[in-house]
Amino acid sequence: MFLVAVPLTVLAQAPGPKKAKTIDELAAMFDSARCKQCHAEIYGQWEKSHHARPLMGVADGLMLTPLVKSSAFQVKSPKDATLRTFPCFKCHLPQAAAYAEDSLAVELTQALFTASDKDAPDKDKAAARAKVAKLQITCIVCHNEMAITHKLVLGSPEKDVIYGSKDMATHGAPSEKVFTKGKKSAILNQAVFCGQCHGTGPNFEFDYPVQCATLYGSYQHNYLSKGGFQTCQECHMKKVGGIADHLFPPNWNDKASTSKMLSESISLDVQTLGYQSLRKAGALTPMIVVNTKILNTAGHRIPDG
Amino acid sequence: MTTKSVDGKEISKDERNYNPQATSCLNEKMVYGAQNKASYVRDTSLQPYESKNETFEIKLPEGVRTADVTVELNYEIHVPENKVPIHKVTRRVTLDR
Repeated sequence: MFLVAVPLTVLAQAPGPKKAKTIDELAAMFDSARCKQCHAEIYGQWEKSHHARPLMGVADGLMLTPLVKSSAFQVKSPKDATLRTFPCFKCHLPQAAAYAEDSLAVELTQALFTASDKDAPDKDKAAARAKVAKLQITCIVCHNEMAITHKLVLGSPEKDVIYGSKDMATHGAPSEKVFTKGKKSAILNQAVFCGQCHGTGPNFEFDYPVQCATLYGSYQHNYLSKGGFQTCQECHMKKVGGIADHLFPPNWNDKASTSKMLSESISLDVQTLGYQSLRKAGALTPMIVVNTKILNTAGHRIPDG
Repeated sequence: MTTKSVDGKEISKDERNYNPQATSCLNEKMVYGAQNKASYVRDTSLQPYESKNETFEIKLPEGVRTADVTVELNYEIHVPENKVPIHKVTRRVTLDR
């Protein structure tokens, strides 16, 4: 009896991770602004990326508004929201699962309600949108929280370690007290890393199945099977000035660059013929025939996400 | 794809859509939005290393022997009106030799 009671007591007293009660608290916990000091170029790329605005949608469309107002996950009042209201957090805000309390979901839902309220003052709507925009997939999310997938053999990410392309005995400015070491991630440069979020199919773990990105499934089953070998990073993080591009193009808010990227991956061949068709004697029909051939050389279906 | 006579009058217009299509699996209605989709039920998207081949046959109106054919390939974001152009090809096609 004594032997059993001790470990249970220890477990009961073991502190869990500190949890954010508010959007500001979670944003502060994963704030990567300090990274800018030494990685200004990368930070600048990331700031323009969709990872920097994962809840804002394309063209700041606030993609979570339909979720809370008109889906199976809808709530009558913001106070009814919990973390379970937001299955999208799995990828759009992965740090929320372990580091946020339900009160953050309430605050986010209130912001979404306010931002979409046609009767709300413009300044309140703007403030609500700004609040949602604080929730980001920051440097820390990918280079720490999501950096290890094989936890059974490699352990969980260490709190003071930034995971990247190489081991570093020291990392960061001497004055910084956080992320003081660098370790090489086993998967950061592999497609499987991106596959954690750019998914494989319906997410059945929720109380209502959610089908979002299926890019990694397409990559695995319909690109590799045709002999493709490139990783996600080779196309979407091409080196710019020797540094992997953390804009992760395409940037759907920039139509010109997106158009260029798509045109490089998708070809269009058009063949035309003008002639007179003859179905039966004496009934010539003037006709144009247009043959089109579209070829996709990307490593996944288009469209997907 | 749009076909116009040389004076700009539209002769024909046709389109093809390439995208995965999902329902909630609770009914037969196609839906948008990850929160509403449960599974794809049809997939006409552009697959890697595969081509989509189409043939369009346009019967010309009486007296018309020349037309301008424009083929546009666009990526639509959320709604058909919000387009990212990918390719645009225009050809003048004539029956005259």
